[in-house]
Amino acid sequence: MLSRVADTIYWMARYMERTNGMLRVLKTNYISSQEELTDFSWRSVLYTYGGLPPDDITEIEEDSIKVMDYILLDRNNLLSVINNIIRSRECARAIQDHITREVWQCLNDYYHSIRNPDIAYLMRSGDPVSILDSLIQHSLFYNGTVDITMPRGEGFNYLNIGKLLERSIQTADILNIKLRELNYDSNDRLEAPALRYLLNSLSGYELYFKIYRGNFTLDNVLQLILYNTNYPHSILYCLQQLNSNFEKLSTESLPENYNRLEFLLGKAMNNVKYSNMRSTNGEVLQQFLVQTRKELIEIANSFNQFYFGNT
Amino acid sequence: MIENTLLYTYREQTGVWDEMFGQEGIRDHYKNFFCAIQNLSEEEMTHKDELAKKLFMSQGITFTVYSSGEGIEKIFPFDIIPRIIQNHEWMHVEQGIKQRLKALNIFLKDIYHQQFIIKDGIVPAKLIYSSPNFLREMCNVNVPFDIYTHIAGVDLIRDHDGEFYVLEDNLRTPSGVSYMLENRSISYRIFPDMLPKNNVRSVKNYPDLLLKNLLSLANRQSSEPTVVLLSPGIYNSAYFEHTTLARLMGIELVEGRDLVVDNHHVYMKTTKGLQQVDVIYRRVDDEFIDPLVFRPDSMLGVPGIYWAYRKGNVAIVNAMGNGVADDKAVYAYVPDMIRYYLNEEPILKTVPTYQLAYPENRKLVFENMHKMVIKRTNESGGYGMLIGNSATEEQMDAFKVAIEADPRSFIAQPIISLSSTPCYINGELQPRRVDLRPFALYGPDGVDIVPGGLTRVALREGSLVVNSSQGGGSKDTWVVA
Repeated sequence: MLSRVADTIYWMARYMERTNGMLRVLKTNYISSQEELTDFSWRSVLYTYGGLPPDDITEIEEDSIKVMDYILLDRNNLLSVINNIIRSRECARAIQDHITREVWQCLNDYYHSIRNPDIAYLMRSGDPVSILDSLIQHSLFYNGTVDITMPRGEGFNYLNIGKLLERSIQTADILNIKLRELNYDSNDRLEAPALRYLLNSLSGYELYFKIYRGNFTLDNVLQLILYNTNYPHSILYCLQQLNSNFEKLSTESLPENYNRLEFLLGKAMNNVKYSNMRSTNGEVLQQFLVQTRKELIEIANSFNQFYFGNT
Repeated sequence: MIENTLLYTYREQTGVWDEMFGQEGIRDHYKNFFCAIQNLSEEEMTHKDELAKKLFMSQGITFTVYSSGEGIEKIFPFDIIPRIIQNHEWMHVEQGIKQRLKALNIFLKDIYHQQFIIKDGIVPAKLIYSSPNFLREMCNVNVPFDIYTHIAGVDLIRDHDGEFYVLEDNLRTPSGVSYMLENRSISYRIFPDMLPKNNVRSVKNYPDLLLKNLLSLANRQSSEPTVVLLSPGIYNSAYFEHTTLARLMGIELVEGRDLVVDNHHVYMKTTKGLQQVDVIYRRVDDEFIDPLVFRPDSMLGVPGIYWAYRKGNVAIVNAMGNGVADDKAVYAYVPDMIRYYLNEEPILKTVPTYQLAYPENRKLVFENMHKMVIKRTNESGGYGMLIGNSATEEQMDAFKVAIEADPRSFIAQPIISLSSTPCYINGELQPRRVDLRPFALYGPDGVDIVPGGLTRVALREGSLVVNSSQGGGSKDTWVVA
């Protein structure tokens, strides 16, 4: 497969996964902004998904609609959802002959629907949750279409690698943001709603309930988000799947490049697998998350260098 | 003749051949189709029209216009009423194009080698050497099977007498074939059962024929030669076509930056290292293809590809330097080429062409400018053109000044009326002018032409310009057996 094609298909998947993650964070935050009458701030979301100077953030951080507008639909915000979808579709356009027609049409529909002026109108004057739900539907549809129609070849593996790498980075980031808001301190009384929002942002709320019966502790949440291999957003699950997709590339790789990546992936996976993070020591937890994220970025950079030929 | 509501406003136009109406009413080969639609209500027809637009949009059959940084998706306007051609007419066209291509191909081989046609005084040397598309770099380059014009899109028009005329031979990188294929697939959707009932000849084997020809050009002794399609990238207006063709043939779509030349061989950069490329179907123009030989600022080409080609290590389709044969001033000599190389009379007529390099022609044309079309020899897409009967005095004067300054770059032709065909516009059938671009594939086994082609239509009332950049659209083209 052409290096450029592998690169593009990988980024198509990353942008889509990022979009999916952002939509869920926005939805949870919006709901929480409506439920919590005091002290709700979009500050951390604005820092993560936008490039506004601090003064501008202070100006809009309590105006949910303005924030949503900025993060969802603002073309001037390079990190906005609409820009992610546009980039993902541009990627798809550049590799149309390597994805199925269904996947292309699905992304094309997604693109046309987020550009539809009705969305902006409903966002400002209607119910933002229905907008977010309809966009999330598109994301789900995309994932299903990929799963059902894409042939299981090299392209599919790169697509999954992009998706899982992005998802693990998202999970690490979202977890880190929420923990920072809690000061990495598990004794805060307000912890329970914050943890609920965290789980909701990572689509883990229902699973958590099934496993822990509503017993909300930070330790349990950490267990789920870091280690549970039945939970598709946990970091360990993502790394294991990443590794298994990568192994399928062995015959399609130059041996020396394969070995490099294999080492990095194995290291990152085992660092997570053989750790045992508890909430008792906030500092260690923070360090661990920073280290994990660093390793994930190193994996991404190595794919970029050794597989996609971008030096 | 006008008893149907669809046809209330269908006006007969004097001096114009209409594809559907003859003097005796609806022509026989249109009757079948017309019977099927004449009882449809306006809503049903409009619904079909909207369905077609929706299908184009949702399938991403669009071209992107980039203005102020944002891409705007546009569909190439499509008219739902097919243009129907009878089989015997088609056979005539097919024979004519085959003959023409054969002669043009020999001409290219000759002009880049011994130049007998110049030595024998058939074509003036000055005309060839003054053509900006004559590439000295192609002299004495041997191309596989002596084929230069692998893919040609010959533009045909019909004058008021119903006779087909060749307007242009597009021998460089003709586009539009994907619209031929997509228009057909849309026809299936909006007119169920109509294609088999009308015995419409199929066009869908075009990609197979093209791939067969491309594979046969590979030089390497390999059971699986690597064929790629070289595209300028997603910002090119024909990018949709590039992906469609690559997908239909199952070949790799590459951009210049994916290819690299090492020791006069071309390779593509893959995740598994470099892989040798044997055949390149390029959709990048000559001047951009190799920055070391042609335009040094080109980002679309591959440095060193020209020498790999010259050494025969890679086949490039179409050959470089074809522009000299479809130069609008050389066009006038094609009938002579056919007589000279093939010893045959031309089957298809050509439009009389005045080269303005000759003073007597200039005088004649300036006196009759309102009856003439003036074209720049090196422009396409409907640009650089003056249509005498609709031009203002200022425009004519501006052209006269430009012609006097550089006469070699202009030709003049009498205005050909272009046939009209019904289009569904604003709830009724209205006549609009059309041309026809069949696509011919020249391979080692001969010339193949899929029956039909792209019918381009000038959607503006009274307009004679069918180019998509100038408000043109397209129609499905049915050759009925």
